[in-house]
Amino acid sequence: MAGDLTGVQAYQAAIRSAQAAAGTGSEKVEAGGAGFGDLLAEAISQTSNSLGHAEQMTAASATGDAELIDVATAVSAAEITLETMVAVRDEVVRAYQEILRMPI
Amino acid sequence: MGNASDAMQVSASGMRAQAARMRIISENIANADSTAREAGGDPYQRQIPVFDTELDRASGINRVRMTDVAQDQSDFTLEYDPGHPAADESGYIRTSNVNMLVEMMDMREALRTYEANLNMIENSRRMQERALDLLRR
Repeated sequence: MAGDLTGVQAYQAAIRSAQAAAGTGSEKVEAGGAGFGDLLAEAISQTSNSLGHAEQMTAASATGDAELIDVATAVSAAEITLETMVAVRDEVVRAYQEILRMPI
Repeated sequence: MGNASDAMQVSASGMRAQAARMRIISENIANADSTAREAGGDPYQRQIPVFDTELDRASGINRVRMTDVAQDQSDFTLEYDPGHPAADESGYIRTSNVNMLVEMMDMREALRTYEANLNMIENSRRMQERALDLLRR
């Protein structure tokens, strides 16, 4: 669980640095609505939240403050959120690669 | 978040309620032989869990919760045991109104309901995963 969380945080940091590097590019994206980076950043922060909640519940259950079923549902919800985010990312990356392979 | 995860929350509340019921049943079984300390006192009175619907206003879903623990008002059983400290002048003691057979059936029912809720969670999760499979292809 902790490994996943640090992975997500690394991802967020990467996105932030990418947005900073883009500079004027990101402003152009904002003019046309939320860009893919924003979307991904939001999805990641949501995933990070639910993973954090799952971790809290695990810790609470270790000290006897939460029931096992709460841990199970929290972890399961976090897992679904993470899997959804990963699936969306894979799909978008695949679309991008498709464009890259396009003969000009 | 979504209906499927709400369903999981509801089923989880059902499981919590059944776990609480299991605790009450254990208390009843463990205290089946508890009598009064002195003559005239009451022995252990069987406890009955009371469940109620609980509306979560934030998400508008109906959960279940064990709201109250009632006392079983049925008669205590009489047992002849003149040497017991709680025996009255004619030698009878009053023992708890816990019926082991009833407790066993209650326990089975709690277990079955727990399993039913568990199945609901598994199926809600399966629904979410099937929908997610659309994205993966």
